[in-house]
Amino acid sequence: MKDNLRLTDVSTVDGQMVSIDLKEIPELAVDMHTMPWKPFTEEQKENTACILDEVCVLNIPKPKNREEEEELVNKFLDGVRKLFSKENNWTFLPMLETSMDNCVQCNSCSDACHLYEMSGENEMYRPNFRSEIFRRIYKQYVKKEPLAKWRYGDMNLNWKTVARLGELAYRCNLCRRCAQTCPIGVDNGLMAREIRKVFSQELGIYPRELHERGTMNHMKAGSSTGMTPEVVKENVEFIDEDYTEITGVGIHTPFDVQGADIMLLHNAGEIMAWPENIASFSLIFQEAGLSWTLSSKALAYDGVNYGVFYDDAQTARIALQHMMAAKELGVKKIVIGECGHAHKALTVIADRVIPFEYQVPRESCYVTLRDIVMSGRLKLDPSRNDFPVTLHDPCNVVRLMGIVEPQREILRKIAPQFREMPCHGVDNYCCGGGSGFAIMTRNNIEQWRGNISGRKKMWQISEAFKDCLGPETRKYICAPCSNCKGQIREILEHNDLYTKNNFAYGGLVELIVNAMTNVNPGFIEFEGAGEEE
Amino acid sequence: MTILFYILGYLAVAGFFCMAYLKIRSYMAASPLHVRWELYPVPHEGAQKAAYGGSFMEEKDWWTKPRHISHWGDIKGILTEVLFLHATFEHNLKLWVRTYPFHVGMYMLMGGTIIVLCAVIAQIFGLNPQGGVMIFVGNVINAVVLVGALCIVIGGIGLIERRRNDEGLRRYSTPEHYFNLGVFVVFGVLGLAAWAVAPSYFELARTFIYNLLTFNFAPQTSTLFSLHLLLGFFLLIWIPMTNMGHLIMKYFMYHDIRWGDEPTNYSEKNKQKILEALKFNVTWSAKHISGDGTPRTWVDVATTNPTEKKED
Repeated sequence: MKDNLRLTDVSTVDGQMVSIDLKEIPELAVDMHTMPWKPFTEEQKENTACILDEVCVLNIPKPKNREEEEELVNKFLDGVRKLFSKENNWTFLPMLETSMDNCVQCNSCSDACHLYEMSGENEMYRPNFRSEIFRRIYKQYVKKEPLAKWRYGDMNLNWKTVARLGELAYRCNLCRRCAQTCPIGVDNGLMAREIRKVFSQELGIYPRELHERGTMNHMKAGSSTGMTPEVVKENVEFIDEDYTEITGVGIHTPFDVQGADIMLLHNAGEIMAWPENIASFSLIFQEAGLSWTLSSKALAYDGVNYGVFYDDAQTARIALQHMMAAKELGVKKIVIGECGHAHKALTVIADRVIPFEYQVPRESCYVTLRDIVMSGRLKLDPSRNDFPVTLHDPCNVVRLMGIVEPQREILRKIAPQFREMPCHGVDNYCCGGGSGFAIMTRNNIEQWRGNISGRKKMWQISEAFKDCLGPETRKYICAPCSNCKGQIREILEHNDLYTKNNFAYGGLVELIVNAMTNVNPGFIEFEGAGEEE
Repeated sequence: MTILFYILGYLAVAGFFCMAYLKIRSYMAASPLHVRWELYPVPHEGAQKAAYGGSFMEEKDWWTKPRHISHWGDIKGILTEVLFLHATFEHNLKLWVRTYPFHVGMYMLMGGTIIVLCAVIAQIFGLNPQGGVMIFVGNVINAVVLVGALCIVIGGIGLIERRRNDEGLRRYSTPEHYFNLGVFVVFGVLGLAAWAVAPSYFELARTFIYNLLTFNFAPQTSTLFSLHLLLGFFLLIWIPMTNMGHLIMKYFMYHDIRWGDEPTNYSEKNKQKILEALKFNVTWSAKHISGDGTPRTWVDVATTNPTEKKED
């Protein structure tokens, strides 16, 4: 299919439109094998519009008759009209319109996309593929421009076009690396997100992990993890106890301290999956003598905001509650923990969505930690970190916020064998779990992350460690972002790279704690069989 | 017929400015204030930070510090992009070798037109049209037009060839792409022909613009030059109506979007605009936004928890 795929195929092909041949997927220096695609069940084929490729994110119900087909198309068109109205989309309309009108289809963006490269340059993964379909639909059916077919190319609009476009919006990590390379300033990442918005905000179609189990659960229970305030406080108390024993330093994580200087906002997923991250923050802030607190208010103990991946209303609702909690505590600033999208949602997006009177200043934890480490408030012994360390740059913090150096200043001070990945800093590649994929688990999404989306990151990692690959040397992948860590963990686990390559992964704070002289040695654990310290 | 030709000239110039104005107005009217959507590096962060893509958010308590913007950084950034097509050079070299001469050719003809316009204004204010200055300007313009038109023709043909022969580009190329490039190539060929046939291209251009400014509708002396101009008139109106309108919009796409990083605490105007935008009515139909269907603003939406059951 790859060589013959045309834009108009989205409306004409029956059944699955594209098949990604695993043989076309580039091989890496580390042993990262491909995962075979699981075929869709007969029931799925019958009832669900899984008709793009081997993956199915949205599970759009297949229309049963002509009326249902038309209904899907008409609702989609209604949504597109709203997307281009100031009242409904004042937040993004100028960016959307300029990206719709000014692309010259030069395809300079293609080579910047890790999905295009790692799919074996499959046509469907060109960043412009979905944008161009959307552009043609808009010009022909919404704007109804004269000579639209001749000027922009024809595009038949039927239920298959709509269903495939919805899925196509979820074949993008929204990392915006393509936008960075565009000579004109067109943003295909934005276009993917805007299409997601039409599906969510108008048709009520979204990935359940982002919506029901994500933002809705966040607003219902208090956290996307489902943890209530009581459970969170209890869990953090357990973490304090466990890590007091492990580190040999008494840890106390404060909650709801009125008038503290800092409200620390963690990704609550850390509490469940990476308690060492929570403990590390508490230990560092405590030992540095900061005045700080966590909030136990519903929503405010979980910094995630999955709305930024698919829905403006959900984004605004969650960001507002984060701000309100900080206001109520009377803190001077919110420090955002190791979560990339939480950084962008609350610092950048919320900045022009939440009225200023409700805003509390936000700072990245990388900056706060840099200040602590460089000020000498912690006694650090870099020789405890004397193993190769590389740094993953979360797109949301680095390319989209320009926070590049603080984390490096820390690493240069505490990790003697720190080395950069190729294409680092603002030129980084997405971990492969960006825009919500790290938390999705069905219909070959895990396979997709392993086969395609996470592959470029593993190429970067293997290049950074190319002088010491293999089980002999311990190596640490510093990924200071919760979703990125989840993605990297999955790749390492699935390919048994902990033992084969003696990799450990984790955040920045764990590495700092590992170097603290008053902490028991060996805070970071390597599961491989490498040499002893 | 001669008068019609001049009328077309006036209409083309007026049309270009009207279309450009409408395009910019439409952009400005699209939103009172869009969200920040910056992409780093941002050149006004200053040379040191821009070199690696750093931002003001790398500073502790950045909101307490005065905001520093390097306007020179922005100017340098946009000039590097416009004059050298830096992004295309870096990310699409095969296209750059074709599109760069094409763009340089256009810049030369546009720049040449402005120089001729200035010369004509000087003439109206008394500069001797046969004097040394005008002869010098004439020689410069004749050279610029020759090189510029050649560049447009070579670059334009190169771009058509690339669109036809590169499998990826061909799939995304519509008849309009070829039409636009074709018109430019013909425009360049006619310019070259007029240059070759007439004793001085500059004299033709100067005379035409002088007549245009003084409302002296004298007949054109060169058919080739007239055809060249007619195509030029068409392009002036056509460019803003197509994706070539990036000529006008690139400024906004870079300065206002890609580099638009101004935090709200530094802008009283933006603080007001947020309040204004939040009053807009929302008509999105999904249940988690529309709720029970009663009309609502963005304030209502943002302050509603869709998981809460309504109390009677």
